[in-house]
Order: sequence, then C-alpha cells, then structure tokens
Amino acid sequence: MSNNTVGTVYEHIINEVINAVRVDFEENGVDDSVLEELKKGWQHKLSQLNVAQFPWDPKPEAPPPAQTAQNAAAAVNAQAAAVQQPTANYTQSTLSPQTAAQPLSMPGGQPNGNGIAIKTEPALPNEPAIKQEPGTMQPMMHPAYPGNNAARGGMAAQRAAQAIASRYGPQAQASINAIHQQTQIPGQAPQQQPQQQQQQQQQQQVPNPHQQYQQNMAAQMQQRMAQQQQPGQQPQQQPPNQQNGLGGAQVDGPSDGFDGVLMRRDANGNPVEMGRVEIDNLLHAQLLERAKQREGGGLMLPLKEATKNRSHGTTAATKRSRVRGGPSQLDGNDDDDDDEFDEDAINSDLDDPEDERDDDDEEDEASGWIMLCLYDKVQRVKNKWKCTLKDGVLTVNGKEYVFHKANGEYEW
Amino acid sequence: MAANGNANYYDLYRHGSLGSTLTDALDDLIGAERMDPQLAMKVLMQFDRVITEALSEKVKARLTFKGSLDTYRFCDEVWTFLIKNVTFKMDGGQSVVTADKVKIVSCSAKRSDEK
Repeated sequence: MSNNTVGTVYEHIINEVINAVRVDFEENGVDDSVLEELKKGWQHKLSQLNVAQFPWDPKPEAPPPAQTAQNAAAAVNAQAAAVQQPTANYTQSTLSPQTAAQPLSMPGGQPNGNGIAIKTEPALPNEPAIKQEPGTMQPMMHPAYPGNNAARGGMAAQRAAQAIASRYGPQAQASINAIHQQTQIPGQAPQQQPQQQQQQQQQQQVPNPHQQYQQNMAAQMQQRMAQQQQPGQQPQQQPPNQQNGLGGAQVDGPSDGFDGVLMRRDANGNPVEMGRVEIDNLLHAQLLERAKQREGGGLMLPLKEATKNRSHGTTAATKRSRVRGGPSQLDGNDDDDDDEFDEDAINSDLDDPEDERDDDDEEDEASGWIMLCLYDKVQRVKNKWKCTLKDGVLTVNGKEYVFHKANGEYEW
Repeated sequence: MAANGNANYYDLYRHGSLGSTLTDALDDLIGAERMDPQLAMKVLMQFDRVITEALSEKVKARLTFKGSLDTYRFCDEVWTFLIKNVTFKMDGGQSVVTADKVKIVSCSAKRSDEK
C-alpha cells in the first residue's frame, strides 16, 4: 500500500461513478455538460485537499451555457416587424410589438447614431398629449404647442427604426421597441393640466372610445386590438390615450425592456418601459429565489431546517399575492423578514453552538485523521485487541492511503 | 453506518475525502439549480457501490498498525476505535507512518458481502 496508488484508484472510481450515473442524468433530462462539470468540480475539490497525487490536472470549470431562448424569440419578433412594418403607418395604433416602426429613441438605448438624432423629447409638448395620470406626475410641465412636430418625429423615428432593423437585424428589436415606446412617453410628460381640458382635447383629437381612459390593462389590450383592426382611422393623437392606459399599469422592476407592455418610472421620474420578456424574467427570478429558499440550497440540509423552510412556502405565496395587490394581509407585514431572522436568530443561536461543540468533540477525538473500512474480525483478550480490517481508506497526516487488508493490534 | 436502501452498500465512504468532495461538487450544482437533489442521491448511491467494489478489487495493498486503544465502541454493527500513538506499516514495513491519534470507523464486512 502506498500513497501513489491512491490517485489511480480514485480516478478509476470517479470515472466509474460518472459513467454509472450518465443514464440517470439522461433520464432526468439533465444535460451532459452538467455531468462533466460535476466531474471537473469533484476532481478540482479533491486536488485542493492535496491528499495525494492525482493523474488529472485541475481545470477551471466551464461557464454555464448561455440562455438563448429569449434571444430567439426576440429575433422572430424582429423579423415579423421588418416584414409587416408599413411605411405610412406610424401612428400609435400599432402598439403591438410587430410594428416596431414607432418614433423617438430611448436615451442610451440606441446602438447607432440614428437614434440620437431623433431624440425630440423637448419638442414633445407639441403632441396633443395632455394626458394626465394622477399617479404619473412629472416634475416638468410642457405647454401644448400647436403643430405637428409629432408627425415629423414620427417620420424620423420610423426611418431610424428601419435603419436599425436593416443594420442590426433581430438584435435591434429591443431598441426599436424602445423607440416605439418612447413616443408614448411624451403623453405622460405634460401633466399639470386640468383633467377637463385633457378630456376635451382628447375628444377633439382622438376619435377613440371612452374606454381608453380606463387605467387597467384589460382595457388597454382591448383598445389595442380595436386599433389594429382599423389602423387607418387612428391618427397620431393616439399616443396620449394609450399612454393613459399604460400609465395606470405601472409596475416596479428593472428598466431595460424589449417589447414594452407596461410602463414604470425609475428613481428620477423618467418613464421606462417594461417588456413582456422583462416582466417574465422578473417573475421568474422571484420564483426561483423563493424556490431556492424553500429548497434550502442543496444536499445535506438538516431535516429541521428543511421542514422549517418548507413551512415558509405558504407565507411566500401570501406575500406574493400581497405584492400583487391582494386586499388583505392576514399573516402580518414582516413574514419574510421573520423568515430570514429565523435562521439567524433564536433557533440557530441555540443550535449552532451545540453543533460546533459536537464538531469540536469529533475534532478532539481524531484530529481529522480517520480510517474508514470494513472489519472481518475484532477480537479481544483482556486488554489486548486484534482486528482484521479490509477495503479501507485511511487519511493521516494530510495524506490518503487505501488498503485491501489491514491488521491492527492495540492495547487498551 | 447503515447500508443504504439501494443495495447493501455502506455510505460509510461518503465521509472520506473522495465522498465529501463529491458531495460538495453536487451541492454546488444543486445550489446553482443545475440538477435536483434526487439525482444527487442517485449519484451518491452509485458512489457507494463503486468505491466499495474498487477498494475490494483494485487495491492490493496491505497494512499493519499498532497503537494504544483509547476508546472503543460497538453500536449497530459498527466498530469505532480511537487509537493513540499509532504506527502504520505499509509495503511490508518499508514505509512507516505515525500519528498521534486516529479514529477508525468500521462496518461489518459480512454484510457488504451479502450484496
């Protein structure tokens, strides 16, 4: 027996295990790369222990493969937009993501110079957009200009969008959508006007059903569908109305969206669009976070903790409904804070020291040197012990040894 | 150290360096949500089998050791010894390793032979 054989034996074991579980991985739909990563990680950790010379070289773990599903979806949308985009139709009636031709670049959202050129936010006041949402007040106030800057802006923006689409293809979808959304934003800007005036102007300029004033998303969707059916009748005055609907549906979340459906405002009060994909991502992230919290993060989780976390599943659900605007909170405000404190506070304060003490005892007993093996015979005569051991792994003085058979004699 | 439910293989070796590093690697993947814990348990069961077979088939080395027994325990068919001032002799006595103390955890060989 020697330390030299350990490396080859361990390598053999690793390969055997990896091959043996390959079928299980396939049955569970887990990618082969995960298995390779497991092997690499295993070998790497083993090398770090430095208990023996191993035949493999520790390699850095491969980065996880990028998620491309969303990109693919965006590409499809972009293609559809390029095909369907009608040149003359730059009204906001085409809020849908397919017609991405709409105006005005998002600040910083443009990869090329075109977008900057059409930034006409200062001119926005010209838009008939006097729409005002009680909840979407902006610090600045724009007087309503007569004229059709909006039309020019629309033309420019459309040209910009086309240029982007032709130059960057599918990748530009987000930017185009950003442009598209930005035109709507002006509608929110000139806020300070009295409600009656708004309504008058809207009635004059926008031949739209009154339902547009409703601030829920359902109404918004209906309206969009109606507009798509009769695009010719919708002049440029629509954006404010749409904005009205959008403004009511503000949702907090990250700021870079793709195809905008919801609007929100960031810390500075600037309107930012929320894409469908982005919303999905936001919800996904939250769900994953919850799931991870409940699952405990891995193997070897003490049963006590596992059950403790599982019991939080319901509170997580209630909290979610609360975020969604659920009417009543029966279980109090601070459930989630409590969740986190549970692990750090009373229970663990009581538990952890004990655990550590147990570990210390183990440590005191063996200093980490340990032999794991099977026994054939253990005999004792008075205080003399003899034992026959086999198939063992011995870790001693920072080195690891394997043996097929071992005989031990010791006195008590 | 009970045998796991899959077969009569001990999960004893999971506490060694090879087993603990495997468990760590699995934990990392589970934490990153690349695999689920059930699959990890299957991996560990395979590990129990493979290491048991490998140690009995691939390893020929022999070892003798002497020391003074500090603590002994026999519970659930598992012997636990704490031995102090141990001297291990390997390769027919050519190499000698000494340690202040070593803990031996040993399961019955008969039961694992019943597989």
